[in-house]
Amino acid sequence: MSALSTDTHSATTHSPAELREKKDRRRAISLLTPGLLWMFFFMVLPMAMVIYVSFWTQTTFSVNSTLTTASWKHFLSSATYLSAIWTTLRIWLIVLIATVVVGYPVALFIGLFVRNKTLQTALLVACVIPFWTSFLIRVIAWRPMLGTEGAINVILMKLGIISEPLTFLLFSEFSVLVGMTQIYCVFMVGPITFMLGRIDISVIEAARDLGASFGTIFRRIILPLSLPGVIVGAIFVSVMVLGEFATAASLSGRKVNLLGNIIVSQVGSLKWAFAAVAGVVLTIIITAVIALALRLVDLRKEM
Amino acid sequence: MLTLSRVSRRYGETVALSGVDFVVPENTYMSLLGASGSGKTTLLRLIAGYEEPDQGEISIDGERIDGQPSHLRDIGFVFQNFALFPHLTVAENVAFGLRYRASAPLTKESEIKERTEDMMALVGLSGFGHRAVSAISGGQRQRVALARTLVCEPRIVLLDEPLGALDANLRARMCDELKAIRERLGVSFLHVTGSETEALTMGDKVAVLANGRIVQSDAPDMLFNQPGNAEAARHLNAWNIFEAGLCRGDFSSGTIAVRFDQMDVSAEGAAPQGRPALGAKYLTGEFNGPTALSFFRADDGTLLQVIDHLSQPRLPDLVEGQRYDIHFAPQALRQFHGAA
Repeated sequence: MSALSTDTHSATTHSPAELREKKDRRRAISLLTPGLLWMFFFMVLPMAMVIYVSFWTQTTFSVNSTLTTASWKHFLSSATYLSAIWTTLRIWLIVLIATVVVGYPVALFIGLFVRNKTLQTALLVACVIPFWTSFLIRVIAWRPMLGTEGAINVILMKLGIISEPLTFLLFSEFSVLVGMTQIYCVFMVGPITFMLGRIDISVIEAARDLGASFGTIFRRIILPLSLPGVIVGAIFVSVMVLGEFATAASLSGRKVNLLGNIIVSQVGSLKWAFAAVAGVVLTIIITAVIALALRLVDLRKEM
Repeated sequence: MLTLSRVSRRYGETVALSGVDFVVPENTYMSLLGASGSGKTTLLRLIAGYEEPDQGEISIDGERIDGQPSHLRDIGFVFQNFALFPHLTVAENVAFGLRYRASAPLTKESEIKERTEDMMALVGLSGFGHRAVSAISGGQRQRVALARTLVCEPRIVLLDEPLGALDANLRARMCDELKAIRERLGVSFLHVTGSETEALTMGDKVAVLANGRIVQSDAPDMLFNQPGNAEAARHLNAWNIFEAGLCRGDFSSGTIAVRFDQMDVSAEGAAPQGRPALGAKYLTGEFNGPTALSFFRADDGTLLQVIDHLSQPRLPDLVEGQRYDIHFAPQALRQFHGAA
């Protein structure tokens, strides 16, 4: 259509506003497409596949696509698997609480008491420094620290506080909790620091002026205003901890079985249908946890 | 009565306040006029206790308050940006102090509710209690900030440029309301502003802060008509301040000041006998509605301003770039002794 004809035939033409709107829509779609394609092919499709495979028939070393609920029945009636769900939930909850307990004061310091933006950034970067090494090294580094002849035991024995090495430190649930808390704490610190940094200092001064003590200000002003940060941090930590297997594998001495470990071992022994069931269960748990977290705080209002 | 004596505050090399002596009497609306950067916000922060003075004493009714934690000082502070609690409703904001203060908090919900509602009615916020503070207008936020402070019945209320964030119409209305509210409560207000009109309109007394000290503290008409020194006169934005030597004839010396509206203009050489006169070049004019402002440049570069009232014009037609004689009655002149 030529420029001339569009000028004269108003019935077939679009107003400049409509053209602009069309262009904007086209741009939005072109920005969305790569992400949508990626999500479809590498998330939606595999998820559907996992659900489908969880109903396949599992024989000792192979699966075939005859549909059955046998794997589900087996999974849900097996004490091993049910206790793995329980262990996963317990470890998740303890690590979540530990990351908040350890991370919140750090975030409070960086976000509220350090008012110099450069120093704030430097401190946040310092929190990330452990991530410059690989995940596995960070986990394994706990062994010489917590082992029976590790740093902590040696120091405590030299100081005469204990006479025999503490054995619960390594290859126990304790070491898994310590390892996970250390690794995931920074994902709690980041979002909380961000929310705390956004609190207008004069709001805190106003509360002080109205006669509130620091404790009251913390409870009534600082904590509620930083809660969205805690929730976002909790979502990060939850998603990562619930799907964890490596920390448990290398620090628990095979005593702690998470759903993630079950999936790894089932896949290792080619039990695809079982692995798929565990995968679906894990996905349901994560979805429920995130849904719960989002119910607690209205993030739309806070962002 | 709030008393500051010899209060000083330094930030590194910068001196914000150097030996401020200042009194805010009981039941008074006190305006504190100062240019931006003159240390007026610092002064309020010292009184409220967000910062401590390097030297000097601050006391209320003879009781020394510097060194006391700010939440125990019983002083109200209204922030320029209002600093409302964003996660609380209007009513919760107003009730905050009553409910959560460390000394003698109210525990009876009914009493909190009653006092909160009374105060909201006083500042004109009735019916807005359940609203989120993000869902009300700028003027209403200002009222919340005020109500939140006043409901605690502080010994003195500090207002840090309280009208700065409001548009012009609202500012004029809030001026009247602030005065009325203060009169009903009988508490002293210390209102800090950079606007001389605001300071003169609002204050029962006006203090001028310049160079880190209070240069004059007087009733508004007194301050306006008889500024005690060049600094005070400069802040009123109504006085031409210049060297007496510019004037023909040897009638005075040192720095003198003449009000904008007490200067007259005639053609060069046509200044009446017996009136001090000086030559100056007409630069440009500014029409402000009821008044017109004309700018002149004296021989030593000093800028002179002459105000003409539209209803009683007294200036001749002026041509830009041309020289005129500016003259005034000898008794209109104010002479400042000592350092300017």
